Amino acid sequence: MTKTAEPAITIRSMNKFYGSFHALKNIDLTVQHGERIVICGPSGSGKSTLIRCINHLEAHQSGNITVLGKALDNNILHIDEIRRDVGMVFQHFNLFPHMTVLENCVLAPMLVRKWPRAKAEELAMQYLEKVKIPEQAEKFPGQLSGGQQQRVAIARSLSMQPKVLLFDEPTSALDPEMISEVLDVMVALAKDGMTMLCVTHEMGFARQVADRVIFMDQGEIIEQNPPEEFFGNPQNERTQKFLSQILGH
Amino acid sequence: MAMTGEMGRLGLLATLREKYFSSLGNAALSIICFSILALIVWKFFDWAILSAVFSAANGPEACKATDGACWAVIDARWRLILFGLYPHEEHWRSALACGVVVVMTVLSCLPYFWNGRSISVIWIGGFLAFYFLMKGGILGMPVVDEQSWGGLSLTVFIFVTTVLVGTPLSILLALLRRSELPWISALTGIVIDSVRSLPLLTILFAFAVVLPFLLPDWASGDKLYRAIFGSALFFAAYQAEIIRGGMQGVPTGQEEAAKSLGIRYRHRIQRILLPQAFKNALPATINQFVITFKETSLFIIIGFFEILASGNAAYGTGNWTFAFVEVYAFIAMIYFVFVFSLSRYGAFLERRMDVGDH
Amino acid sequence: MLSAWNNIKLRNAMLQIIYVGGFVAVIATLIVMGRTNLQAQGIISGFDFLWKSTGWDVNFSLIDFSARDPYWLVLVVGILNTLFLGTIGLVLATVIGVIIGMARTTENDLARLLGAIYVEVFRNIPLIVQVFFWYAIVTRFPGPRQAINLADSFFLSSRGLYGPGLNITGLSAFLGIVAFLAGLGVIIWISAAQRFRRMDPARKTRLRWLILLGAFIVSLVIFWIGRIPDTSLVSMPALKGLNFRGGIRISTELSAMAISIAIYGGAYIAEIVRGGFNSVGRGQIEAAKSVGLTKWQVFSRVRFPLALRAMLPILTNQYVWLIKATTMGIAIGFADFFMVVSTAINQSGQTLELLGILMGGFLVINFSLAAILNRINRAIALKGNQLRS
Repeated sequence: MTKTAEPAITIRSMNKFYGSFHALKNIDLTVQHGERIVICGPSGSGKSTLIRCINHLEAHQSGNITVLGKALDNNILHIDEIRRDVGMVFQHFNLFPHMTVLENCVLAPMLVRKWPRAKAEELAMQYLEKVKIPEQAEKFPGQLSGGQQQRVAIARSLSMQPKVLLFDEPTSALDPEMISEVLDVMVALAKDGMTMLCVTHEMGFARQVADRVIFMDQGEIIEQNPPEEFFGNPQNERTQKFLSQILGH
Repeated sequence: MAMTGEMGRLGLLATLREKYFSSLGNAALSIICFSILALIVWKFFDWAILSAVFSAANGPEACKATDGACWAVIDARWRLILFGLYPHEEHWRSALACGVVVVMTVLSCLPYFWNGRSISVIWIGGFLAFYFLMKGGILGMPVVDEQSWGGLSLTVFIFVTTVLVGTPLSILLALLRRSELPWISALTGIVIDSVRSLPLLTILFAFAVVLPFLLPDWASGDKLYRAIFGSALFFAAYQAEIIRGGMQGVPTGQEEAAKSLGIRYRHRIQRILLPQAFKNALPATINQFVITFKETSLFIIIGFFEILASGNAAYGTGNWTFAFVEVYAFIAMIYFVFVFSLSRYGAFLERRMDVGDH
Repeated sequence: MLSAWNNIKLRNAMLQIIYVGGFVAVIATLIVMGRTNLQAQGIISGFDFLWKSTGWDVNFSLIDFSARDPYWLVLVVGILNTLFLGTIGLVLATVIGVIIGMARTTENDLARLLGAIYVEVFRNIPLIVQVFFWYAIVTRFPGPRQAINLADSFFLSSRGLYGPGLNITGLSAFLGIVAFLAGLGVIIWISAAQRFRRMDPARKTRLRWLILLGAFIVSLVIFWIGRIPDTSLVSMPALKGLNFRGGIRISTELSAMAISIAIYGGAYIAEIVRGGFNSVGRGQIEAAKSVGLTKWQVFSRVRFPLALRAMLPILTNQYVWLIKATTMGIAIGFADFFMVVSTAINQSGQTLELLGILMGGFLVINFSLAAILNRINRAIALKGNQLRS
């Protein structure tokens, strides 16, 4: 776990609106290199919006976001550079259905990193092995199960060799029996020291790997603490309520 | 065994009764429909084959002696209908050029070639082959100017050029209309909707007849190409909406995934959006091609000698003026063969896609 | 400059300015160049010519028109002719389409086969080929003296179809028919719209009959107002010398256009009708049968209302298409809006103005037709997702 002086992501008093709806309120967040962060909160709390602002899938209206030393501002080149080094895994996988698994993985490295096909394929196979489905490389996404598709999606992100990975509810669309195979891959990634931001309801995962758990509600960061503290001694009333709903029965 | 045979016969009778005579209304409907069908089939068969005159050897008089079809007019004038005023000894070039287009169409119906590069190569290659065969000036073929083109090959030329110019234009229009920039999408929307609500004829008229009044001579170009551009614009306005519909069928997550991988706009469109959008839009696109092929026949009104005009000429002169039904039937057959087979193919694709393979 | 291009906001602003500005510039250049070119030929731009007399006549008009009348009137004649042909064509095409479409959804194979043959033959041959074909047919009937006589009241001849008519102006005939059709439209609306759903069925039926009667009376009044003075109301065609006098004459151009549009449009509408009926879920019909509705009730209360809702949006496009198709009348010399405008351009040289009027006219006609049909569509649309079967 190497932590350099400059943080991987810095967000300062950031606000985001959808029309007149105030989706994110005055967000401040710093993420160090190698840090693993889990973001949770009730639906509509703005947690997905927050991580989508980090790679500019959503534009913020005020405040500053700096990712890997590049400011997310009006400069288009910065957006391109940030997206190149920040991977994202989606709830619905979003694999390209008209390409094979391998093509899914080599497309961006060849187009964006300009790597020759041989190098891109070699790396992609390496990552497909890491997510434990190298034998599916020539299949189309439609032929795979949900869990397999999500693992391909992770391999696709890794094939760009990103410095930061964003997970947007990666297990929410999966059948229960497939959740663990995806979580196993995520745990392995965390062990390798990848900088990760995960929006998820998997509290077991949070306990196991997170350095910090963030709770959001109504567009605000309510509480952030290491998991022992977060789960053992939640400070805010809303956090307590949320945790009792999601954990206790 | 005998029992089941008996049951089978009874079954057949029962099925017949069940299907066609289940009620008084149904029985009446069956009898009426059967009579009409029988009448049409018999009359048509008698007219088109039994009583018909096929050879022009005895001239128009042979036809006047019978009630049947006078296919003799086709025998006498088929070259005029198919090739128009194209020089007689060069007709083989015109025929070969049409053959090239048929091969091109069949090739592009094969899923094997369904990627941007192959389709472009097939169509641009086919177009160039067609154009140089018709125009000549290479390989020792004498030059034949566009003014002398006519008949089926002019129809085919108009169609292929319209599609070839219109398709890139339609992609451009579709992308502009779905642009995130409000002014660009609004203006494109106005242009597309306006073109779509105008009759094609008025657009052809504006481009072929009116435009030369507005432009200086050096900029007006040839009348045929102006009209084709108008037709391509019209095609593009419709096709743009079809492609946009296809794009709307692609989940937004696809573009987000591509963005998050750092893939730039051009490649997102080329590699992710368009391949999927085209697949969604395929049945509607084939339908639009069919409509466009039929609409090439409007060029007759702005003064081009395409197949309908050459057909009018074929029976309009000499002693064949009575034989218009046969000429129109012949032209209708040509359109029918192309349009019917293409639209059947479209319907087949649609069914196959409904079944839902990947 | 390079940094400005990389600034997303500046870039978006520049792109929009270039696009819109470029478009406006091209159009403006065309207009300015056109005006100078036309002025060089001695044509003064502006709309003054609309009040000059044309000096040429049209071959078919619903209102009185002669060569001395001004240009604006000839344009009105053209628009009325387009609407007239459009109305006839749409009504006939719809009737044919509904019959064939229904035939294609019956359980009788023979009827389905007949319907399929009709659709495939007439849909796959370009409309204009059919127009030329029918025009050739109708102009080859025998001359007036040898006209085919049907019960002494209808005469088919190469000059057109003659039949008994009312001695009224063409315009009032047109308006009367439109009024009657509007009445029918209101009746369909009442039958299908949500707003009248809770009305007592007996009252609803009475209301429908009242509207039908009202529409009929209004049409009669319009006919009465438009009658030609000093003549009997009904006139019969009769051979006088070389031609027929009296009655109404449907010109060969009009009949060829109406026949072709009806047949071609009918084939397309049949497919729309079939699609509409096929879209009604089997479950809905089975449910209707299971609660004991009769065959007719299942049709009129369940299948038809649901099918109509599925058809209407596509039907709108088809109607707009058919209205546009009336422009093919120019091929055989039917004086529709397009033909009148193109003759006017030839004669007066007021190219830009007339082109503008032509395009504007079609935009107005088509947008209003689409607006009316979309309104009906919204009025009868099912709220929410009642129908996700």
